[in-house]
Amino acid sequence: MLNCFQQAHHEMLPRPTHDEASRQEFAKSLKGFIQSGLLPGLAPVYQTRAARAFEREEGRAPADRRDIRKAMVGDPYFQLYASINRIAQELLWESTNLSVERELPELIEKAKALSAASKAQLVIPEGFVPPRYVTALDIHCMPGGYASEVCEDDVSVGVLYDRGVFLYSMGYGGPHNDDMGRSVCNYIQRNMPDFRPRHILDMGCTVGHSTLPYKEYFPEAEVWGIDVGGPCIRYAHARAAALGHEVNFAQMNAEETSFPDGHFDLVVSHILLHETSGKAMPRIFKEAHRLLSPGGLMIHADLPPFDLMDPFTQFILDNETWYNNEPFWGAMRDMDQIALSEAAGFPKGEARFTTAPMAIMEFMGAGYAADATESVADREFTAGEYAPGGGWEVLIAQKPVDLAAAA
Amino acid sequence: MTEAADRPHVIKDAKGKRPQFYAEPGIDQLMSMVMVLAGEVCMLRDRMDAQERVAKLHGINLAEGIDALTLDDEALQAREAYRQDFLDRLFYLARKEANEAAAQESDESYRATIADIAVN
Repeated sequence: MLNCFQQAHHEMLPRPTHDEASRQEFAKSLKGFIQSGLLPGLAPVYQTRAARAFEREEGRAPADRRDIRKAMVGDPYFQLYASINRIAQELLWESTNLSVERELPELIEKAKALSAASKAQLVIPEGFVPPRYVTALDIHCMPGGYASEVCEDDVSVGVLYDRGVFLYSMGYGGPHNDDMGRSVCNYIQRNMPDFRPRHILDMGCTVGHSTLPYKEYFPEAEVWGIDVGGPCIRYAHARAAALGHEVNFAQMNAEETSFPDGHFDLVVSHILLHETSGKAMPRIFKEAHRLLSPGGLMIHADLPPFDLMDPFTQFILDNETWYNNEPFWGAMRDMDQIALSEAAGFPKGEARFTTAPMAIMEFMGAGYAADATESVADREFTAGEYAPGGGWEVLIAQKPVDLAAAA
Repeated sequence: MTEAADRPHVIKDAKGKRPQFYAEPGIDQLMSMVMVLAGEVCMLRDRMDAQERVAKLHGINLAEGIDALTLDDEALQAREAYRQDFLDRLFYLARKEANEAAAQESDESYRATIADIAVN
């Protein structure tokens, strides 16, 4: 079944012209083809010639992902795969930027009007400096990164991210790119039906894709999304308003927020940790622990650690580090997230990895044909594909209800 | 609508050294150009498809008409002229190379011309 997933329009997205939309669809189709048409060839190429060539030269078989990389970088098939993958990434931003450039002043005015009409808070502090791990490179080759501003009240990189992520994920994240947040919400409701969080924090929320489902599932709760990117936060606030949600957004660093101790009973993040750094990640775990009230939950939905995979899978995934401006992608997967949780104050044996089933089946409807969504949810995960089949690996830890007993 | 000159511009290139995938640096450039052109071919194909669909909404079956179209001599002539002109442009470097050979132009003769014009 062909993937014809379409993003749902909302007021903060540009209206692409026919030709812009077509170019964006091409970038999405190319990503799909790379997964189905080029990626599967890497394993036989490695087994039948690259690994053998490595053995001839080194006198031993490749042992880990570094050896496999060494064996593969000179192979013409790998070069083609890696270069086309990079070009697809560049084209998805390039084609999206055509629409952003054309509509930017109008989008900025729309954002201002939507935010002004919302009761939810928008906090952009004067003189906030985003951390170096976000500004040193433009992560996943997105021009401008999360924090660049080209004019006053700029939202351009927020718009770019909203549309670009849909193309990058080939629509697997649903019409509103919110599958990760939705999947974690589903997990909570199914496994902890009595847990009703009243104060929820989404760390590193970018444009609030995963943040909004929390307001939908827990409408009584006060929901905050924080991110270091000012234009993203500005866009997130307006986008939430455009989609009819009152969610608060603040430009803030998850390593050190300004919320009081124990303010939240649910602290979550989605694909945040792998875009931080070796020093920032432990600090984020500590901050999550500080912000939780007794009995509160920390859930990080990110990439599973390398030690759960074979070396060839590790090698494929680590291409993001080398070719897609994801400097912490590989190193993050080597971090011991269980140990980090314990060092942050969660009791020994409390933190664990679990699977939050993908919510994609709920998206069936406009732009989401039933058999296409089923084929995404049912497939076996192959390294290098956008997302796992059945679910997201999430790290979950609860702060003890009785702090004194846990101490 | 903001005046054209005052309109802000998005950032077009991502910060971070781009890796070189092929041993010969020009190949990376060439591959990106091929893929951009492939994208434009797809876009044009989409646009033609859109024309057929819009015409259909207005009661004109363009697709059927196109398949049923019989080219008369004038049309055949026009299309062949276009194709030959296009091929001529596509192979402009081959034309140039053949002309150079005919005129016995060479790197040496080019350098000799530079040296000659510098002093004469």
